[in-house]
Amino acid sequence: MLTILLISFLGACLMPLLAYVIGRGAGLVIALFPFGLLAAFVSMAPFVERGWVKGEAAEWAPWLGLDFTLRLDGFSFLLCLLITGLGGLVVIYAGGYLTNKSPAERARFFCYILLFLSAMLGAVLAENLLVFLVFWEATSILSFLLIGFEGRSARARRAALMSLQVTAFGGLALLLAVVMIGHVLGTYSMAQAIDRAGELHASPWSTAIVICILIAGFTKSAQFPFHFWLPNAMQAPTPASAFLHSATMVKLGIYLLSRFEPVIGAESWGRGALITVACITMLVAALQALRAENFKSALAYSTVASLGILVLLVGLDGPAASVAMIGFLFAHALYKAALFFCAGSVLHATGLYSLRAMGGLARHLPLTALACAGASLSMAGIPPFIGFISKEFLFQAQLESSWEAIPLAIAVIVNAVMVGVAGVVTLRPFFMGHGKVNKVQHGETFSLVMPPLLLACAGLFMSLAPDWITRVAIRPAVASVYGRAVEVDLTVWHGLTPMLLLSFVVVSIGAVIVIFWRKIHVWLRQRTRFNTYEIESLWEASLRNLILSSRQLTELLQHGDLRRYLLAVVGGTGLLVAWSVAGAGVAPDIPLLGELRPGEALVALGGLGGAIVAARARTLLSAMIATGLTGFAIAITFLMNGAPDLALTQFTVEALLVVLLSALLLAVPLASPPTRTKAMRGRDALLAFGVGALLFLGMMDMAAREHVSIASDFFGRMSLTSAHGHNVVNVILVDFRAIDTLGETIVIAIAAVMARSLLRSRGSEGPVPGPEPVHFSLQMTGRWLSLLLLLASMVILFRGHNQPGGGFVGGLVAALSFALLALAYGVNHAQRVLRLRTLTLVGLGMLCVLLAGVPGLLTGEPFLTHLWWEPGGVMPALSTTLLFDLGVYLVVLGAVLAFHFGLQREATR
Amino acid sequence: MTLLYGFVGAGIFACALYMILSRNLVRMLLGFSMLATGVNLLLFLAGRIESRQPPIIADSARALGEAADPITQAMILTAIVIGFALTVMLAVLVLRAWRHAHSIDSRNVDSAESLGTPQEREPADD
Repeated sequence: MLTILLISFLGACLMPLLAYVIGRGAGLVIALFPFGLLAAFVSMAPFVERGWVKGEAAEWAPWLGLDFTLRLDGFSFLLCLLITGLGGLVVIYAGGYLTNKSPAERARFFCYILLFLSAMLGAVLAENLLVFLVFWEATSILSFLLIGFEGRSARARRAALMSLQVTAFGGLALLLAVVMIGHVLGTYSMAQAIDRAGELHASPWSTAIVICILIAGFTKSAQFPFHFWLPNAMQAPTPASAFLHSATMVKLGIYLLSRFEPVIGAESWGRGALITVACITMLVAALQALRAENFKSALAYSTVASLGILVLLVGLDGPAASVAMIGFLFAHALYKAALFFCAGSVLHATGLYSLRAMGGLARHLPLTALACAGASLSMAGIPPFIGFISKEFLFQAQLESSWEAIPLAIAVIVNAVMVGVAGVVTLRPFFMGHGKVNKVQHGETFSLVMPPLLLACAGLFMSLAPDWITRVAIRPAVASVYGRAVEVDLTVWHGLTPMLLLSFVVVSIGAVIVIFWRKIHVWLRQRTRFNTYEIESLWEASLRNLILSSRQLTELLQHGDLRRYLLAVVGGTGLLVAWSVAGAGVAPDIPLLGELRPGEALVALGGLGGAIVAARARTLLSAMIATGLTGFAIAITFLMNGAPDLALTQFTVEALLVVLLSALLLAVPLASPPTRTKAMRGRDALLAFGVGALLFLGMMDMAAREHVSIASDFFGRMSLTSAHGHNVVNVILVDFRAIDTLGETIVIAIAAVMARSLLRSRGSEGPVPGPEPVHFSLQMTGRWLSLLLLLASMVILFRGHNQPGGGFVGGLVAALSFALLALAYGVNHAQRVLRLRTLTLVGLGMLCVLLAGVPGLLTGEPFLTHLWWEPGGVMPALSTTLLFDLGVYLVVLGAVLAFHFGLQREATR
Repeated sequence: MTLLYGFVGAGIFACALYMILSRNLVRMLLGFSMLATGVNLLLFLAGRIESRQPPIIADSARALGEAADPITQAMILTAIVIGFALTVMLAVLVLRAWRHAHSIDSRNVDSAESLGTPQEREPADD
């Protein structure tokens, strides 16, 4: 079976290419492929008729419980015969039907149909529920593609989307059910799930599982309230409608429901739900079938009613129900496909849709009329056609079941309507109203006539000589549905039974409907209220509302106001922290007050004062100065608490910030009207205060606890002995955690590239106008001051390993020296002095940083393991750390200058 | 002293938050710069301020004696530089926004929003 499935999928991809080569007769040739598959299945008949089950498996993803397991039993076998047999006929018919399409479109259609056929085979053969789900969804998607085959028509697109939405919704429900079953049983085997229905029933998930399975089955098989997609699906080309939307795909829901009948039946309400939904579906569909104006719509609604009957039969208990279900499924597939073929031929030949406009076609399309008559007689349940036998079984099942008379009464009415529809679709277009249609666009062709005629004949032949099909397909199928062998007697004459009487009643009412069809139809059409209550419009409205509300939600969340985004971030973070603090349930510790050093306290408070002034400042200039004040105060604080490296860096950064930001402040207005109302400012202050207070409490709690310093102690011990450095901070940066530093250097390099690309706009390359006149003293001393700064930066770089300093600080100081040059003599001058372009500096720096790691790599150590060379004597010790620090120095220098030059140019433009 | 420094750090942090919530882009930028300063001070506090000795090994010693925590200092050192780069990057962006929209009010810098939703199309009818 695995081989058949594989061949089927491969063939589905390759065979349609023949449509390019052969042209019009392609259908006949390609049809050999499904017929070949049919033959392959028929050859397994001796195996199946003994009641055996054939299993095959291939490993797929065992750790997910997902193995490609297949299983062929009677029910699967019957469906495989239907799928491949009808598939072949559909391909032949499509070859005659799509004559006005281009070869490419024909090939596309054949490809979809054959892929669909393969997916159906996979679905009915699958044993693993996950595999089943995959194929189930594949049929939904192919149905979508086929309904939307005429992609240029808006109605086809709408119908395709609707069917996909409904069936994919069902697919999701099926996925849920499968996952829940796997969760409860620990396996995804379908047979296990059915055998262990009791276990499923005992679990707390059972109700949810059954509901999900019901939704999946109802959506696929177009049961109320999901029935509306099927009549719309008639937008598909007729061969696809015949194949998917009456004979095979919609039966997949029935297949699922009947497979899981033990699981559904285990729930007290399970069968009741099936029968109730089936009855509602039948009534709604019967009513709509009488209202339908269009040949295909009438057939579509009668299909919905037939599916309702099948669901009803799944819901009924007793062996007769299983016999009736299988019999009806088989008979319906034969006659409904034939009727769809006939409808398609009429449509193709006349271009007419409406039943009322047609008439007297028997003269033009005699063989089609014959096929239609045969199929209709079967549908109406007139002996000796197979439809009669299946109807007898239906009534027998209902009489024998433990259910009340209401489903029986509904079944009688609905069957009568089916008789009526069968009569109307045959008599009106073909045999009544002579002269309504006098001309057809073309006569009958072999491809268009053979499939329906063959199916109609099969309906007659199989009821007259039922032995083979009963033995091979029907009996094993019933046995696998019911769980044990059931005697099936497929003969036309059972004697005078209550079922025969009911059949007689049905046919009589049906005849009345045929006679008064026009009056009933027109009367029903005038009742427009039916349209208002259609589920379809509800569905559309809910879709519209979904889109509308998601748009509103998006507008609510993505409002485009930066301030509110930040409020959400800050407030959300604050709430999370507060929540976790409250959740911990312990009050934060507060450290001891300790000694208070007045000088340092004054500096720190000065920093806080600067922050407050900055927050309250009216103009940007004062805000910037106040911010700088805070920065300097904190730098002094670092200096007084044993962090000279930090102090040096912070001082330089603050100085550079003044230089760089003043370029920005020169461009933008310094004082602009407040952007927040007073209330907003109050709220913001409250929020900021709250988050700050939380942070304070957290910090204090941390400071009050013991200081864990294992890593610091380690670095302090090893710094000199293994890394040859006295300044532990610098050793950590360039040696112990050099990879971190490398990352940060890369960040700075990226920032430089970004600045360059952002500021490199039109006209920014040319020389900028000379500098504003600066103070005499700066002009006189600037050159020497910057030279001094540059020298200092180099000293800071080189002594960094043992004394405060290093690449970061050195680079910043060097940048300051060039910034001073630019301030005193203009950017052009500073660039001339620099000679290199800023990004070249950054690149050189990155190169140094990366090269510094290579020698260590060459000695077999990890990247960035530093090496030392100490010649002794007057020669200084050399190491790769120096190269590393030099790289950092160059990157920082280049990046800061890239920003500085760019900002200066952009600001003075 | 810890208490005081904690108070100052958290205070700077709160002031910076208040500035960031402004719609004036330059004020936001200064706020970000100050936020980095406040956080650096708090980070410094996490390494404790028990010793005022810099973490530099004396010439006579082989290992670090009583000194300030070197790890937090190494972290803060890079944090200062990265914070500076971030601030300057913001400055570049603000300047570009000013050139483009001629406004430093964040509500007026809306080129991204004014593009509209990407797939706003009415379904076609036949």
